[in-house]
Amino acid sequence: MGFWQDFFRKNGKALGLFLLGSVACWMLLMIILPQLFMLDFSFRTNVPPPLWGTEAHGYTFEHYRYMIYGSAQSTESYNFVDLSVFGRTILTAIFVTLIDVALCYPVAYYLAHVATGGWPRLMVMALIVPFWVNELLRAFAFKIMFGSTGIINNFLVAIGILDQPFDFIRNSVALYSGLSYAYILLMIFPIYNAVESLDKNQIEAARDLGSPWWRIHWRVVIPHAKPGITSGCTMVFMLTAGALAAPQILGGPSSLWFTQIIYQAFNQAGNWARGSAYAIILLATCIIFVLCVMKIFKVKLGEIAR
Amino acid sequence: MTSDHIRKSFSILFVLIFFAYLFGPLIIMSLTAFNSSSFPRVTPWECFSVEWFEFLTKDQKLIEGLQNSVFIGLGVVCLAVPMGLAGALMLTQVRERVRPWYYTITISPILVPGVVLGISTLLFWDRVGTMFGASRESVFYNGFFLTIIGQATFISAYTMLVFISRLQRFDRVQEEAALDLGATHVQTFRKILLPFLKPAIASAAVLAFLASFENYNTTVFTIVSESTLTTFLAAKVRHGINPSISALAVVIVVLTLLGAALHEAFKRRELAAEKESARVAKGEQKSRGAQSRFLFDPTVIMILLIFTAGLGTAYFAGTIGLDECKTEVLAEKRRIVQERIKKRQQKTMFQDAGRQALTPLTQEEIKKRQAAPGTSNFQGLFSPENLEEQVGTSKEETQDAPGRAGTENFQSIFAPRNLEEQVGSEEQKQSE
Amino acid sequence: MSADVQLNDVWIRFGDFVAARDVNIHIQEGEFFSFLGPSGCGKTTLLRAVSGFLDPSEGQVLIGGKDMAGIGPNKRPTALIFQNLALFPLMTVWENIAFSLEVKGIGKEERRKKANELLELIALPDQGEKMVNELSGGQKQRVAIARALAAEPDVLLLDEPLSALDLKLRQHMRTELRAIQQRVGITFIYITHDQGEALTMSDHVAVMSQGVIQQVADGSTIYDHPETAFVASFVGENNMFSGKITEVSEEYAVVETPSGMLRARRTKGKGGSLHRGDEAFVFIRPESLKFVNGSAFDNRVNANIKQQEFEGSFWQVFFDVEGNNRTVKLSMVNDGSTLPHEVGDRVELGFSADVAIATPAGELAAE
Repeated sequence: MGFWQDFFRKNGKALGLFLLGSVACWMLLMIILPQLFMLDFSFRTNVPPPLWGTEAHGYTFEHYRYMIYGSAQSTESYNFVDLSVFGRTILTAIFVTLIDVALCYPVAYYLAHVATGGWPRLMVMALIVPFWVNELLRAFAFKIMFGSTGIINNFLVAIGILDQPFDFIRNSVALYSGLSYAYILLMIFPIYNAVESLDKNQIEAARDLGSPWWRIHWRVVIPHAKPGITSGCTMVFMLTAGALAAPQILGGPSSLWFTQIIYQAFNQAGNWARGSAYAIILLATCIIFVLCVMKIFKVKLGEIAR
Repeated sequence: MTSDHIRKSFSILFVLIFFAYLFGPLIIMSLTAFNSSSFPRVTPWECFSVEWFEFLTKDQKLIEGLQNSVFIGLGVVCLAVPMGLAGALMLTQVRERVRPWYYTITISPILVPGVVLGISTLLFWDRVGTMFGASRESVFYNGFFLTIIGQATFISAYTMLVFISRLQRFDRVQEEAALDLGATHVQTFRKILLPFLKPAIASAAVLAFLASFENYNTTVFTIVSESTLTTFLAAKVRHGINPSISALAVVIVVLTLLGAALHEAFKRRELAAEKESARVAKGEQKSRGAQSRFLFDPTVIMILLIFTAGLGTAYFAGTIGLDECKTEVLAEKRRIVQERIKKRQQKTMFQDAGRQALTPLTQEEIKKRQAAPGTSNFQGLFSPENLEEQVGTSKEETQDAPGRAGTENFQSIFAPRNLEEQVGSEEQKQSE
Repeated sequence: MSADVQLNDVWIRFGDFVAARDVNIHIQEGEFFSFLGPSGCGKTTLLRAVSGFLDPSEGQVLIGGKDMAGIGPNKRPTALIFQNLALFPLMTVWENIAFSLEVKGIGKEERRKKANELLELIALPDQGEKMVNELSGGQKQRVAIARALAAEPDVLLLDEPLSALDLKLRQHMRTELRAIQQRVGITFIYITHDQGEALTMSDHVAVMSQGVIQQVADGSTIYDHPETAFVASFVGENNMFSGKITEVSEEYAVVETPSGMLRARRTKGKGGSLHRGDEAFVFIRPESLKFVNGSAFDNRVNANIKQQEFEGSFWQVFFDVEGNNRTVKLSMVNDGSTLPHEVGDRVELGFSADVAIATPAGELAAE
């Protein structure tokens, strides 16, 4: 009671209603309820749309079962196709995340503490540019590069490393590099911001005390940059695991991504319920991942989402 | 000392490679848009051309998708900016205990996969529509409505973050001062808070529009039967690639860069204004010209100039001499083809001499491709081709290789592979 | 127009925390009234209750005899000058000043005219077009006052407005504020933790501590006749002896302290309830403490000189007094003569009962 009285006293009626209305709309109608409805839907039987909400549209675990055991008619004991796609998606996402950390940390450190003059500022500005380019186009650029007549094959063949073009697409090389590329900027900015806030004197002091360069990083810089690294890892993992454009464009015919399975369930199989169940599985995995990261690295959500 | 030097040069090299990795693909993609080759590539450079851009303007579906994207983007701006603002203002007012929960919920859409957001939006409004007994033509099933809602869900969180960081520098006492001087709450909002937030509103709006404009993951689910630029693009890329996509990419890249520069300019203007006022507050003299510099940020002007200059040159260079170049390339191709055919005819005595030069070759090649013999090492020495074609043509060519050395050299310059397709399409164009 | 302000049985609570406890004050119209107290004592909270940013949990706020319950800050006949001034940085000086007219929908001509009048009043003519950030601290101060006066309030509330200024400017602004108040003739309610400000400017001062009004009186009464231990220790400097009351009369009390029996005037009013056997404090100001040197005094204590400091117009001498673990301080006007004692000397100090004051034991101001 006290709160609302205070609230309207502070904001007045018109503004108070605007604030309340907008936030309620956003939180309830756009964030919370849709997720709950999707959760509910994922436990419903798959019936055609006209029957939704009728008795035929009852509750079931079949979609989650399907993810693990496959259809009842199947001879396999487990749904190896979907499970392996899921497993590969998660493992690849983790792998891509690690690659990005390894690539970004040295660059971020270089920009923040080694480069001098106007260069770092310019480079940071330049980093923003690819960040703004559409995800689809970034994937497309990789498709061009890695194509069998793409510049990479041409180059490798010309200098004699390969004697014939290598099918990067079919071997998922294009996909992995495209994914690493796609969200790399969400890794470098948090790390850069964190590393930059480190006092240069601390590095100097460590060097003065005779620390070798790797120990300076291990004991001084990396601990300081931890929140940035965590934040970058979380973002990159989530976006990679949830990516759709890059796998659709760069993925070979045999390497499906989990989001593509969801997409197929919706757009080709017309099985919205299963699609929802799979989306829930993806969401749950992401939440678990974030919680684990928060627990392991002892950071708060506020530090991750910036 | 020396190890220090080595380490230094190594790290510079690493950074250079990193930047090459970042920009290389985009630059290559952009270049392919200007190559007249019908497959997007750089290395067998044919003619400098802007025809792929002209090609774009004729694509009715593209124009439609673009219009839809702009419409949706504006819708998202209208929704996400006020909601983000309300969210940020509310954050300062909710009770201490509730605040972490509130923050977590409002920020969560950024972390939730876009696919999931799209699906949940689609499902939720479908169910709401069913509950109200709305027809399939109603707003609940409308792709635009769903897409705007779905995108605004997470874009509002972006704009909220923009407003939060701006509000942190706002002295809330100013609002009390205004109220105390007799202003109503609405007047206080309009005359005190809004002017302060103006730069943040501008940058949030640009951010929201860009984020909406390039969103794919959510849109692909919520758009239903309509199409936006990104879904159009995705469909096009998946169905087969040609340089018109590169051309489109160049246009989008240029537009987004302009947008990003605008966003950056707003941000820097805001920061500069703040620094200036802090400086003045410290009692230093106000520097003349500082004010006017904000309005015409040098970076923005530079970027604009470079783009216009680049586009202008590209256009003129593209129109001048394109036709000659093309005819040349075409003639070259024909010559090569005919040479090949001649050699084959001599060798195999297979061809009917009365036929036209091109047609038999095409048929022959198709047949050979179906036969698909093994590949040879020799072929790899020359500029690579599409795999299938290579497989198809290799056998004969290997046999007469020494005699064709001149041709091959020539080919490595122009390398008109994809013969049937290319020559065929050239002919089509000429016959038009 | 001017109005009086009454706070009747006002309590203000934030959860379990009590910011104002049973406050009863009547501020006369047209007077300069100060709330004096250390930071966190609840004075700003009281001011916010008067200006309408919060409602008291209990009790009434009356302005001009009208109950203000449920009336927002924008509808009250008050104007507040904030601690950080809260000038609007995106507006020019004159737009700031005329803001209250702008929100009333008054035309630009008239606003400009009124702003110019007020700029004249605060001695900043022709500065109207400047941005706020281009002004100096003192100028900003005056603009804030002009902005508040433009609203033509019946009561002007000032929340430590001088605290951001340097010492010299602060002293200058004190005189100026007082002059402005006398010119416009409206009620000023002034909040400060600086006793110098409170004592020099105010008609009446309310000393506050931990949400409780300790004493309301004019400046000299506060200084000479503190009613509670807090007021005695907070306002000005004071030496303190603590002990038990052995004797109470109409005017005086005798307190037995480890340093000896001390006789002092007893407090009146709020702190008046002194009884035999109660814990009590005796306060004596440094300037009232003397070296005995053969004269007769009501009270004497033995002390060792610990330190002597020369401060130009006067000397400060610090003592360890037998039976008292607090350092005792004595100030002497520098009349050209040399100090009679040296560090380490054992001396006898004396003071008369009429300049000392005995209060019930209670909360003291932080050192």
